[in-house]
Amino acid sequence: MTMYLPIGMGLIVIGAGLGIGKFAAAAADGIARQPEAADKITAAVNLPLFLLEGVAILAEVFTFLMLIL
Amino acid sequence: MSAIEAGRASQSVMEQVGPNIIHHVSNSDISHPLLHLPTLFGVNFSVTKHVFMLWFVAVLVGITIIIPVRKFLSSGKSTPSGWMNAIEGIVQFIRDTIVKPNVGPKWVMTWTPIILTFFFFILFANGIGMIPIFDVLGVINRFILGVPAWDSHNTINHLLHGGVTATANFNVTAGLATITFFSIMVAGTMAHGFINHWKNLAPHGLAWPVYIILIPIEIMGLFVKPFALTMRLAANMTGGHIALLALLSLMAIFGEMFQSTVAGVGVAFISIPMAAAISGLEIIVVLVQAYVFTLLTSVFIGMAINVHH
Repeated sequence: MTMYLPIGMGLIVIGAGLGIGKFAAAAADGIARQPEAADKITAAVNLPLFLLEGVAILAEVFTFLMLIL
Repeated sequence: MSAIEAGRASQSVMEQVGPNIIHHVSNSDISHPLLHLPTLFGVNFSVTKHVFMLWFVAVLVGITIIIPVRKFLSSGKSTPSGWMNAIEGIVQFIRDTIVKPNVGPKWVMTWTPIILTFFFFILFANGIGMIPIFDVLGVINRFILGVPAWDSHNTINHLLHGGVTATANFNVTAGLATITFFSIMVAGTMAHGFINHWKNLAPHGLAWPVYIILIPIEIMGLFVKPFALTMRLAANMTGGHIALLALLSLMAIFGEMFQSTVAGVGVAFISIPMAAAISGLEIIVVLVQAYVFTLLTSVFIGMAINVHH
């Protein structure tokens, strides 16, 4: 099973990358349309971004645990 | 040549790199602590390196934050200056942009102190991980004082065991997240009373079969929140250090693979700039993780106070 774990890691990175990319794209788009709302948009993006990051980190920790256990 | 050195020489570089990296991010061995303390109630109280770093960070925060603030408050001046100005800027930022929007104006002064404590402690503990105090000591020990690496009775060699980032230890972050876990409950109880806080966990006025699914999910969510906080902080701090050391280890690995010094030195031209870039990224991660932990703690406390079901 150990040989498939790096593939899992790759999938996690793809998923998290797509998610963060969508966030950044939408935020940049919103700020470009309405620069005066930049602070509000940043504040709204922050929290889901960190939750997404948390899920990705959790998945990576579990992969690492599977590797060493 | 001692027996230990002979044993090390017989291992290939590839076999040494992995354990070396793990050794640099994990806690020092409990059987060789820095300070021996007795076992009470089945818990070994001996001071390992992460325990030492926790106390060190606590003292550092006390000296650089608590004492200046106390001095400023007792001086009776209305405008801060110098270092106190910087502290005030950070405190105001956290109160106005992290705590106030999430917790609400009514409870902001109740919950800002604990959030600030989290922020400064995590920031200092993370930041100390990026300062290679013990590694520089080790280099001086090896090349200037000429103490060999396998001398286990040398004090500095002894100090080199284990990483310095206390927040890279899952037990430390679990302790911090436990404080968050209880703060959420205390916040809900203070705002709504004990019974109402538990009632607020699930929304009111739904058909009864929904609750069969909803109540277990809400109870799971109660524990998932601090668990995610634990994993996020520790994994971020461990991950960055592993990436740094893995890039630096490439030099040894390539030198071994091609059996030449030139290959190792050649890879250094790629791996050292990469490691420097990742160090820059790590400094951002140090700040962001302290911010994230405080932000999420205040969001969870706010969720218990401002129930919007």
